[in-house]
Amino acid sequence: MFQFGYVFNELRRRLGRTILTALGLAAGVGLVIGIIGVSQGLDQAQAKVLAPLSSIGTDVLVTRVVGASSNGSSATPTPAASAQTDPRANRGFFFGGPGGNNNNLNVADINALASENSNVTTDLSKLGKPGTKFTHDFFLSATLLSFPDQALSQVAKLPGVVSATPGLTLLAEHQTGTVPQITAELKTGGDTITQNINIAPPSASEQAAIDACLAKRRAAGGSGGFGGPNPSASPGSGGGDFRGGFQSCLPERFRNFRAQFRTPLRTIQQVVNPPQTDIKTTSYNVAGVDPASPRAGLVTTDQLTAGKWLTAGQPNQILVANSYANKNKLKVGSTITINGTTFTVVGLVNPTLTGSTSDIYFPLSTLQKMSSKTGRVTQILVKTSSASNVDAVAKEIQKLLPGAQVVTTKSLAAQVTGSLGDAKKLASRLGGALGVIVLAAAFIIAILLTLSSVAKRVREIGTLRAIGWSKSRVVRQVLAETVGIGVFGGVVGVGIGYAAALAVGAFSPALTATTNGVPNIGSSSFAQQIGLQSSTTTSTVSLHAPVHPTTLLLGIGFAIVGGLLAGAIGGWRAARLAPAEALRNVG
Amino acid sequence: MSETNGNGKLYKLDNVSRVFRVGSQEVRAVDAIDLDIDRGEFVAVQGPSGSGKSTLLQLLGALDKPTGGSLSFDGRELTKLGQGDLTKVRSRDIGFIFQTFNLIPTLTAEENVELAMVPIGLNRGKRRARGTDLLEQVGLASRSKHLPSKLSGGEQQRVAIARALANEPRVLLADEPTGNLDSQTADEVVAILRKLSAERDVTVVLVTHADEVAQRASRRLRMRDGKLLDQPAPGLS
Repeated sequence: MFQFGYVFNELRRRLGRTILTALGLAAGVGLVIGIIGVSQGLDQAQAKVLAPLSSIGTDVLVTRVVGASSNGSSATPTPAASAQTDPRANRGFFFGGPGGNNNNLNVADINALASENSNVTTDLSKLGKPGTKFTHDFFLSATLLSFPDQALSQVAKLPGVVSATPGLTLLAEHQTGTVPQITAELKTGGDTITQNINIAPPSASEQAAIDACLAKRRAAGGSGGFGGPNPSASPGSGGGDFRGGFQSCLPERFRNFRAQFRTPLRTIQQVVNPPQTDIKTTSYNVAGVDPASPRAGLVTTDQLTAGKWLTAGQPNQILVANSYANKNKLKVGSTITINGTTFTVVGLVNPTLTGSTSDIYFPLSTLQKMSSKTGRVTQILVKTSSASNVDAVAKEIQKLLPGAQVVTTKSLAAQVTGSLGDAKKLASRLGGALGVIVLAAAFIIAILLTLSSVAKRVREIGTLRAIGWSKSRVVRQVLAETVGIGVFGGVVGVGIGYAAALAVGAFSPALTATTNGVPNIGSSSFAQQIGLQSSTTTSTVSLHAPVHPTTLLLGIGFAIVGGLLAGAIGGWRAARLAPAEALRNVG
Repeated sequence: MSETNGNGKLYKLDNVSRVFRVGSQEVRAVDAIDLDIDRGEFVAVQGPSGSGKSTLLQLLGALDKPTGGSLSFDGRELTKLGQGDLTKVRSRDIGFIFQTFNLIPTLTAEENVELAMVPIGLNRGKRRARGTDLLEQVGLASRSKHLPSKLSGGEQQRVAIARALANEPRVLLADEPTGNLDSQTADEVVAILRKLSAERDVTVVLVTHADEVAQRASRRLRMRDGKLLDQPAPGLS
């Protein structure tokens, strides 16, 4: 088609104008692509920080937290549940949850908590004979309470639930040391107690009785003198028989006396030397995941960075988080021994569930056995059939399991501070406006340049009209030229935008985000009461500006629209030129 | 049309005026002209600047419409045609030649010639063939791939003549075709115009300042202040 060649020649042979107009559009398009990229990057960063659940194929996370309350600091549970359901109704394993507006623990919670953590009360004497070395790992659930896995099957049956995956998150205490000597000897007795008793002298009647008795004895026995009744006379002079007789003549009061006395109350303090031991404790987080659920759970195959996923039926395989692996020089194939069992690292993972990332991931049943929590889990990770029924499912779960803390991806959002939040707000407030302004500026530049080009081509347009070109053909010509420039500008703009996105990626500015993580150890009201750190998590995310093919197409589309707009206005201007006037102006 | 053919009249102008309004003032660029032009005539229009020559040419070329009188071309009353029809008349029946050549600077010589064949819907093959033929006739076959900027003034005007003839028009309207050319080149250009118009039975109306050009015309008209001097308009006192 001739006109196509004409357009091509116009663009090619008026390269300066073509490039200038195209660059104007390209700059606009590039900036808009950059803005879109940064905006999407912020979205991704926010998704990474705020919606950690989605990355593990989960829409709803169910936990049981001590003192979970409707105004808890972590993600807000659906308030309807606490208000409308009887927490104890036929559900023995979830209780005490809705704490109303106070942060007091109820008795049930305290008991449950004590029970959960009882297995870790270290009785050093049970670890072996004093002096022997020991290494032992204790598993405690801290404040994240476990519950029977029958809850899992109940949740799985709810309408709208696609899958319910169990998770068990525990805090492990790794202790090494020597069993200490723990004996204390206490000796008692050997005290001397002295008692002084003053006996009252015999009364006159008693003396008379004594005298009478003695006289009687004397008459009967006739033996020995007697010093008289005077008590001061030596009694010894009377000989042995007399003594017996004399005693028998004394009144009862003198022969037997009883007295009650109490030894002084004393507190014996004996310092027992504390057991001399070198026990060292290190903590790490462990989790149990279902090897049969590689796509949903506390960690999924998506987060696998090396090695492979757990094989079902292999109880001694583990996955290790990259950070833990680096710290402990572990890699795929390494082994670690825990309480006598050797585990093989089969994969390295980069877990993303903020607040619930663990260092070691065991097959669920293995961890349950090791931690004496057979049949118990701490999380249920629920996947729903569609995003629209997440809230409904969350409500159902809350109804089914009163006291459960139900967290949805959505409920985690809306609570972010830090530079990410600021950037996101800035992007959402200014990004759109900036994009529009930049595009409008680019369009205006294109329109002005096209109008200027049309003005410079008055003679050409007049000539075309004179030799029989219709208005519409002239308009089409101008339009085709500017659309051509638009396509060119779009392609260059996409290049600019892509380069800008790469630059953002290369510099990857760090953004901090303080979020309320998912319920974990230390995220309950109890935890707050005893001064554990709150559940907020500050994460740093690098900003990237991803450029999707649709964005690129959108950019080219913008440029073409800009070209069309400029062409339409330029063409309209050209069409308004009366041919005679156009030629006269030149002449 | 048969009537027109019968008496050989291509143009018939009756009391044609073209009045421009500049602010509150009226400028009568063409003032009540009566004029007949026969088929095959070679007419030269002379006159000082501002006398209305170019405006008359634009009226004849259906680029502009008279504000008064009647203008019949080939039996059709141009004053009654709309813009679309006027465009059609220009594309089929009229060829223009300008003082400043008015070639499209981004197109080669042959493309410029083809440009005039686009509105009449000739296919590429026919356009190429006719273009090559016309450029040969104006002596520029070897320069057909050149851009206007690579051609001399005379060569550019010869390309313009080829372009003006490309749609096989009934009339060639040339506005100072030699105005930008030296006298030798001007002679060549006029010679080509005469030759081709004769060969193709094309009527030529040529506006010029130059007497030597006008002298080669079959009829000379003079204009002053919008009026034809040699043929005073009826009613002019």
